[in-house]
Amino acid sequence: MFHRRKTGAVGLLHSGRLASGLSRREVLAGGVGAGALLAFPIGSPGSGSTAATGSAASSGSWYAFLYGTPESSPYPGGSFMAAQSPASASSSAHSPFQLASTLAATPVTSPDQATVALATVDTTAHGAKVTLTLIDQATAAVSKQGSLTLAGVPADASILATPVFAPGTTTVALVLAIMIPSTGGTLRKTDQSGKVTTATATTWKSHHELAYFDSSSGTFTGAFDLADEPSLALTTVAANGTDLFVWTTPKQQPTAYSKANPKPAPLSTVRAFPLGSGKPRFSVQSPAPWPGGEPVATLASGDIARLVYARNLQVCSAKTGDITSHTLAPLAVDRPKPSAVTMQARPDGTLFIAKPGIGTAVIVDPADSFRVKSQVKFSVPRAPGSAPWTKAVLSSSGDTLYVVGGASSGGVSAYDVSTGKLTASYAQGGRQYTGLSVLPDGNVLAVGPTHPRLAFFSPALSLLHTVDTSLQIAAVY
Amino acid sequence: MAGYDTAGEIQNTYVSAHDEFGADPNFWMRYFAPSPAADLFEDDPSAECSGAWDSGGPHIGCISAPSQGNLSSTSAQGTADAETFAAAIQSAYYAVTPLDLPSNNILICWLDQEYSTTLSLSYWDAWANYIANYNFADLGTYPLYPGLYCTPESPYPNCSTIAQATGLDIPYAVWSAEWEPCGGLASPPAWDAQACSTVPTKLWQYGEQGACGYSANVDLDEGAPGFNNADYCLVVVSNP
Repeated sequence: MFHRRKTGAVGLLHSGRLASGLSRREVLAGGVGAGALLAFPIGSPGSGSTAATGSAASSGSWYAFLYGTPESSPYPGGSFMAAQSPASASSSAHSPFQLASTLAATPVTSPDQATVALATVDTTAHGAKVTLTLIDQATAAVSKQGSLTLAGVPADASILATPVFAPGTTTVALVLAIMIPSTGGTLRKTDQSGKVTTATATTWKSHHELAYFDSSSGTFTGAFDLADEPSLALTTVAANGTDLFVWTTPKQQPTAYSKANPKPAPLSTVRAFPLGSGKPRFSVQSPAPWPGGEPVATLASGDIARLVYARNLQVCSAKTGDITSHTLAPLAVDRPKPSAVTMQARPDGTLFIAKPGIGTAVIVDPADSFRVKSQVKFSVPRAPGSAPWTKAVLSSSGDTLYVVGGASSGGVSAYDVSTGKLTASYAQGGRQYTGLSVLPDGNVLAVGPTHPRLAFFSPALSLLHTVDTSLQIAAVY
Repeated sequence: MAGYDTAGEIQNTYVSAHDEFGADPNFWMRYFAPSPAADLFEDDPSAECSGAWDSGGPHIGCISAPSQGNLSSTSAQGTADAETFAAAIQSAYYAVTPLDLPSNNILICWLDQEYSTTLSLSYWDAWANYIANYNFADLGTYPLYPGLYCTPESPYPNCSTIAQATGLDIPYAVWSAEWEPCGGLASPPAWDAQACSTVPTKLWQYGEQGACGYSANVDLDEGAPGFNNADYCLVVVSNP
């Protein structure tokens, strides 16, 4: 259980141990602790959003990152923690420690998996301060941090800040959906008992702004207002080495529609912005669906692939914005319940796509008309649509697929990608895991609902350590 | 009275469902954006409505299944997800003339919380508040009501989260994913849904395709005693 300072970040436990599991003496002694001391907040007093600065710990091992909700009431969202990967079964285990709280959006990993970007927002009377923090996966330390103030944004605005890494560059774009409330009109609601509640209605209007963070200098360019109000806040975003691609959707205005003359829904628009610019190079309409969390990846060609309906790839030409669609036959299996679905661009140019709800993962080759190069079938996990969505992950070399075990067996399994055959499994006690991550050192982290929630495995699925956390884990990196 | 939920399209599902269960559904529960892994009702609402009409179950319940990590996020994500959900329902309403609001003016909009997903209070409050305040089609009648699909006895926060909601953020109802005795459509099992302590369960998913061995691309649901779920759904008043 964490005890927090007013600023909302990590503080000292009553026992004299930091939430990181380190004592103040250990912190002050340097080494691992030196960074942990810097894990105190830098946010302005009273602010609700914080991200740690400085090295949190450093002892040569890699870190996994956890995103989720502290298990204690009132369940505030958006907490972020680091958990150290053990070097071996005989090495000591370290407790996970908190790096940030109240993030403005789900963290985003760089294409090379070396860095995680966190965004926090603090609204004040003068505007909104958006802070981007880059965390190094090798050290769990802050590698760069910068802030941007959006003047004139009211204090009651809601801001969704999505970082986007531009591969091969030092640029991290920030796509900001700014939602501003206004009041007017009276609403009446009737509950199940027939009781009527009357209230003044709140209406939201959304627009988008772009900013660009240079991770070498730590400075921002922008923000650029896209002047697209009213639009829907949700976007699909991706970048290549030269452009930022942003899908947005205009908000349907009832004054332009009527029941007597039915009209289809407005289409989304994809725009390409040269990195550093707020003026699009092209703007073209995009077929359905509207942006809603579909996986997206930048291809080696620079084109952008969006996985829609968990079976179709919409590929946006980086040059023209033209969109072509490809159906992935192994994934075109319908189920009544939506499955988790993930997509990842690999260093060799292929795409790794997993759909645990049908027990299938594939590697496809964009350079060969999205031909399926490999396909692995596995048992469907117990809750294939639930968080975390990373229920099937690929080793760094791409030769091994790790999946959370099936509904009856639990555990973790490993498959040879080239043959599709099971090569290893761990199922002691039928323990159910809900998500996985492969670390750069090859170790596998499995997370689950019951304490202890973290289990580190060797690449061959030997259990190295279990570690506990009070975080209810929604995503693992 | 029982009905179906499906992430597939009604027009491509109802024949096989009828062949398997031999009865007309009372309603269909369908996915709207943001639901990144489902076929979306609003993408072809006219064909979906025709399918529902032809199936004999011309009532469409509305559910959204965002990326489940979103539900552990903050209020900005909740507002943004609800904004797209409400807009998607409205876009279907405008695209099909004979698709109408329920006569009681209470359209329950369900948020899909899967078993091992944690629902943060900040996300729920923002999501529910946006839904409750949505001035649907500028009618000034605010007909959308938030509801939560969840597994009440899951170890992850769901009931305990919504128990802290106040005012307009309190869900109108819970749709329970458990228990799962299975059964058919014409003779659903006796009511035995899991429940939260503060919000009544009004809809129960008593049979899932995988666990119950159904071949049609549907799960089976029924309303609580005295609760006709079709009354809280969009209505297809004629075949478009």
